[in-house]
Amino acid sequence: MAKDVKPTRKNLMAIEDRIDLSERGHGTLEKKRDGLIMEFMDILDKAQDVRGELSDDYEQAQKKINMARAMEGDVAVRGAAAALQEHPEITTESKNIMGVVVPQIESSRVSKSLDQRGYGIMGSSARIDEAAEAYEDLLESIILAAEVETAMKKMLREIETTKRRVNALEFKLLPELYENQEYIEQKLEEQEREETFRLKKIKEKKEAEEKAEKAEQEAAEAAASADEAVSGDELEQSTAGGLPGGD
Amino acid sequence: MSRSQSQEIAVVGSPEFTTGFRLAGVRRFENIPDDEKSEDLDDAVTNVIDDEGVGIVIMHDGDLEYLSRNVRQTVETSVEPVVVTIGSGTGGGGLRDQIKRAIGIDLMDEEEETEDQE
Repeated sequence: MAKDVKPTRKNLMAIEDRIDLSERGHGTLEKKRDGLIMEFMDILDKAQDVRGELSDDYEQAQKKINMARAMEGDVAVRGAAAALQEHPEITTESKNIMGVVVPQIESSRVSKSLDQRGYGIMGSSARIDEAAEAYEDLLESIILAAEVETAMKKMLREIETTKRRVNALEFKLLPELYENQEYIEQKLEEQEREETFRLKKIKEKKEAEEKAEKAEQEAAEAAASADEAVSGDELEQSTAGGLPGGD
Repeated sequence: MSRSQSQEIAVVGSPEFTTGFRLAGVRRFENIPDDEKSEDLDDAVTNVIDDEGVGIVIMHDGDLEYLSRNVRQTVETSVEPVVVTIGSGTGGGGLRDQIKRAIGIDLMDEEEETEDQE
């Protein structure tokens, strides 16, 4: 609120500094927001492609496993699934896009050769192998989708936060600062005007007093000189007419 | 760049859904039969998400409707671990809303319109 601010020159300078800083910050954050949105659009395109591939791979994998279940039976498929020795692992490296830390996921031991699967070449059929391979491909697609979608979610969060900060500066902080600045400037102007008026009044009063004093002085001088003139005449008359009281 | 520790992939869903991924080597799994999903899916998903050794969680799109609101919100926004949903739809329902909120435009709707025009 403007009324909470003391209307002093020091406060005015402080507010002007804050306005300058906030305006620069606002400009920078707007650029960051726009840059993030542009980067996000690239990632979104990539995500759409990845999702498309993922859907195709899932469809393919489902066909293969349904075929394996139909040919070998569900028990055989589950038995093969339980026998797996090698397990896929993922490691994450971080990458920085416009200040947002996004993951780069690397996988290991996803695609396996026949002997690595653990159920043995003789212990299963080609259908189960094909299903396993299809699901391994699906896992690779899922890992890629995970990387891209994590990046998307993090970018979105950052875009939202940046957007909120830009709006807070534009619609809350800066208008308040401008209001305070205007309030202080008005108050200072008012004080200056009052001061000027006060000084003018004091000056007029002083001049009037001086004038009155001078008039008094002149009147006193005039009276004094009039008395002198009268007593001088009387003295002349007394010396010329021989007034008693001399012998 | 920093490297985190090695993590695993987990899968949550019905036995028919999880078997395929187990065939590909996924050893962290939670089997929830269809008739028990309303009661048990929330806990299963929460257990897996809270496990620090899990980096990616795989779920079926259709299972999201069995989750309570809070858990679903967690699933849609979680980045560690990230939950990838596959199956019926685009898997991007929650993401679409997030995009609309953050950018202000329904970008996925535009993509669909472009595809229709093509």
